[in-house]
Amino acid sequence: MTEPTIKDFEAAIAELESIVKKLEEGDLTLEHSLALYERGVTLSRYCHAQIEDVERRIELLNERGELKPAPVGLGADATSRRGE
Amino acid sequence: MQKEECREARDAGTFLILHSTFFIAAASFSSLRAAMASLFDLPFEEPEPEPLLPAEPAIVRDAPAPAASARKERVVYSVSDLTARIRGVLERDLPELHVEGEISNCRQWNTGHIYFTLKDANAQIRAVLFRSAARQLRFRMEDGQHVIVRGRVEVYEAKGEYQIVCDRVEPVGAGALQIAFEQLKRRLEAEGLFDAARKRPLPTLPRTIGVVTSMDGAALRDIITVLRSRFADARVVLRPARVQGEGAALEVARAIRAIAVVRGIDVVIVGRGGGSIEDLWAFNEEIVARAIAACRVPVISAVGHETDFTIADFVADVRAATPSAAASIVAAHRNDVCTKVHRLHDRMHALVRTRVTAARGRVHAASGRTALAGWPGRVAMRARHVFEMRHALQRAMRGRIDRATRDSTALQRRLEARDLRRRVGLARTRAVAARGRLDGLLQQRRHRLEARLGAAAGRLEMLSPLAVLGRGYAVCWDAGGRHAVRRADSLQAGDRIHVTLAAGRVDATVTETHPDDNTRSDPQPS
Repeated sequence: MTEPTIKDFEAAIAELESIVKKLEEGDLTLEHSLALYERGVTLSRYCHAQIEDVERRIELLNERGELKPAPVGLGADATSRRGE
Repeated sequence: MQKEECREARDAGTFLILHSTFFIAAASFSSLRAAMASLFDLPFEEPEPEPLLPAEPAIVRDAPAPAASARKERVVYSVSDLTARIRGVLERDLPELHVEGEISNCRQWNTGHIYFTLKDANAQIRAVLFRSAARQLRFRMEDGQHVIVRGRVEVYEAKGEYQIVCDRVEPVGAGALQIAFEQLKRRLEAEGLFDAARKRPLPTLPRTIGVVTSMDGAALRDIITVLRSRFADARVVLRPARVQGEGAALEVARAIRAIAVVRGIDVVIVGRGGGSIEDLWAFNEEIVARAIAACRVPVISAVGHETDFTIADFVADVRAATPSAAASIVAAHRNDVCTKVHRLHDRMHALVRTRVTAARGRVHAASGRTALAGWPGRVAMRARHVFEMRHALQRAMRGRIDRATRDSTALQRRLEARDLRRRVGLARTRAVAARGRLDGLLQQRRHRLEARLGAAAGRLEMLSPLAVLGRGYAVCWDAGGRHAVRRADSLQAGDRIHVTLAAGRVDATVTETHPDDNTRSDPQPS
């Protein structure tokens, strides 16, 4: 997920925290609150997308520095073959 | 005489391994002698074979002669002869031996050779460990260490000195590995490699996990099993490395360096399952420690069991008790971060909802007051359109109700769209209740207004000029019914007019106009 205004996950979570802090402190106009909220929702969506954006797989890094899929059954449990 | 020396040596408590062949051709020692010569000329080089010295065998061969004829004539040795003889005796009779003592004055030269003195309470002897043997050392020789060395005694004739040329040095008491461990630990610690300040935090969101371990070990199985159960979507990049045996440390170090540069790697787990101190040794090697310290991403060490501490553990950013524990740490860290994101989202949502609800209440209250003010006055002033105005008012109010309903629905939708499902029910209930209250409020206002309008209309009727109609007057309206006709010259024959009477209305057509005559069309004078 690309979101030009967000540097990375760490920055997103930090900004989300600061938004919540501002909202907690109050003293904001309704417009400002809603603008912060919109931004917060964007950040939160980004974070969730990042959390879910992992492709479950095991790879082997060989001597030549190439990544190859690990042999099926590596780790010796049935669930590792889900979706294969 | 040689046997005597042997006995003396034994008496001195030195453990000797004696060859039965006392009379080995002395020629075989010539290379050793050459070595001795280079030994004492610093800087030293390792001995290299040199051609035999022709004079050498003669001295040894001649040696028994003076002794045999000692009673007859005085034998005078040259210094060289004597020294050569001493050397011959020492080197022949003390071929390979083990000596126990304490190290002092230990120095390693740039060439790699280590020079030291071996001593006990009463005596000392110089010793050297050449580079090739020094490389085999598992620990670092230091002053004060109690060791057993294996080597040969050799003599340097040019200086009249002798020393032990060692080929092996072993610590007494603690094992060599233990000492090596302590030494490397002390050294790296002094370098600051274990400093808490150097420890990097785990990545905020670990997604791709590098693993350096052996392909067939229990560690890999454990790590994958734990990740499967607690962090199902993890991406794992495995760099296999032998984790024990000759060359294992080098392989592990290379694997760490290789995996650190793979794109996307967030954290590296390095380790192996349990084993003896020898099995775990690769993780106590400096090369592995350096690779961990230089790794671009945080490293979690996971070596052996809970009770096993290796140098790798001290250098790593995080030490896990076992490989399973390492995987658990990563999974827990990731799950904590997920929870945190959810909490932040929920908190933000709750805060904004409260804020919006409060604002909405104020908006409705305020708009109700300002918009409705002034209505009764206007209505009273325009009595003729009382009923139309009433309708207009009702339309306007309906519009406002509709708008309020739309606003409320839109807000409700936004809430629904962004809220977690369990909140939607609550939000909807609140929205409906708010709309109900709003509708009630407006209804109430409308009734009040209508009552006031009715009263005003009644009063207006009493005071209206229209009341005059009851007394027989009529009002004449133009064709559009908008203007009362006041002047005859505003009409022409054929214009349609409307006449309002006290009861009812007449539509008429003008047949004739008399702009100047005020009397003829007057009603019958009384």
